[in-house]
Amino acid sequence: MGAALYRSDRWRWGLDAWHQWRHTRPFWGGLLVVAGGTEILLTEAVPIPLAVHIGLQGIAGYLIPLVLVLVGLLLLFHPVQRTFYSLLAIILALACWITSNLGGFLVGMLAALIGGSLAFAWRPQQQPGREAK
Amino acid sequence: MADTRGTASSLRGRVDRRRFAAIALPSLAAVAVLILLTTQNVLAVSFSISGKPFTVTARELKGRGFEQFGVLDRSALSGRPGHTRETVLTANAIRSAKITDLCQSVALAGLTLRITAGTGGAPVRATNLVVDADRLSGDASFTNIHIGQDASRLTQVPGVEGPPGTFGQQAATVTITGLRQHAFAVTAGTFTLPNFSLHFGGHC
Repeated sequence: MGAALYRSDRWRWGLDAWHQWRHTRPFWGGLLVVAGGTEILLTEAVPIPLAVHIGLQGIAGYLIPLVLVLVGLLLLFHPVQRTFYSLLAIILALACWITSNLGGFLVGMLAALIGGSLAFAWRPQQQPGREAK
Repeated sequence: MADTRGTASSLRGRVDRRRFAAIALPSLAAVAVLILLTTQNVLAVSFSISGKPFTVTARELKGRGFEQFGVLDRSALSGRPGHTRETVLTANAIRSAKITDLCQSVALAGLTLRITAGTGGAPVRATNLVVDADRLSGDASFTNIHIGQDASRLTQVPGVEGPPGTFGQQAATVTITGLRQHAFAVTAGTFTLPNFSLHFGGHC
């Protein structure tokens, strides 16, 4: 009985910490950018040596969605610079239309665009120390 | 994960709807402009699809600089031990191609995605086009064809060569009518897609 209580306390504590982490950064925006970039990367499947052969455009097909995923991760783990990262995510998502299979056949591109916009529009609430639950 | 430098690190936040609209609407407008420029044949896009077989058909393909040789494609998904998923394919490389009535269909998770382009007068143009196919059919005519040249010594498409010691052929020009190919990979340096349209459902 006591052990069960202890476990549920730990569970509660973990859940609270997760909620705190999730609400102090543009979580859904960053996640959508990562998901969009990943989807574009998955549609991109040319063998790497051939991509290098084709030159800059072949490499850009991989490079731009890869940077898009990195920007999405940065939105999650370094949210202070979210304005820069979110604008970068939007520009990279648009570039994917040209470089990477029409932005992963539009799907990944739209996900990254919406994610970037959500992250751009996210802002911390003004009152410091207020714990809204 | 704690953000040491951020002043906003402990503050909970949320999405400002007006700010979201202010950035999302211009982005979606930019998407519309990109799609428009692609269909109007102004913007060239780059393609590289692989892993799944798909069908490409065209009424006519005219190419300058043609190479053909055998390749062994290894699927990127051959993760299971004891299973090598290697397929012998022919690589068809064309330095610059004009394609009329291009249609491409691929089955993605039970859904068929069909792309058509080059249907209204202006042909699809592609440079450094490489198609790895296992079936290829159509009526073909070649000029200045060299059959049985070593695949590593092919010169018609700069930068694309086959494995040394294997069979290869090349031609200065190629015209294929009624083209139909079952391909595993298409890559191209640039692709312009006039009258581009993307549909779900239906085969080529």
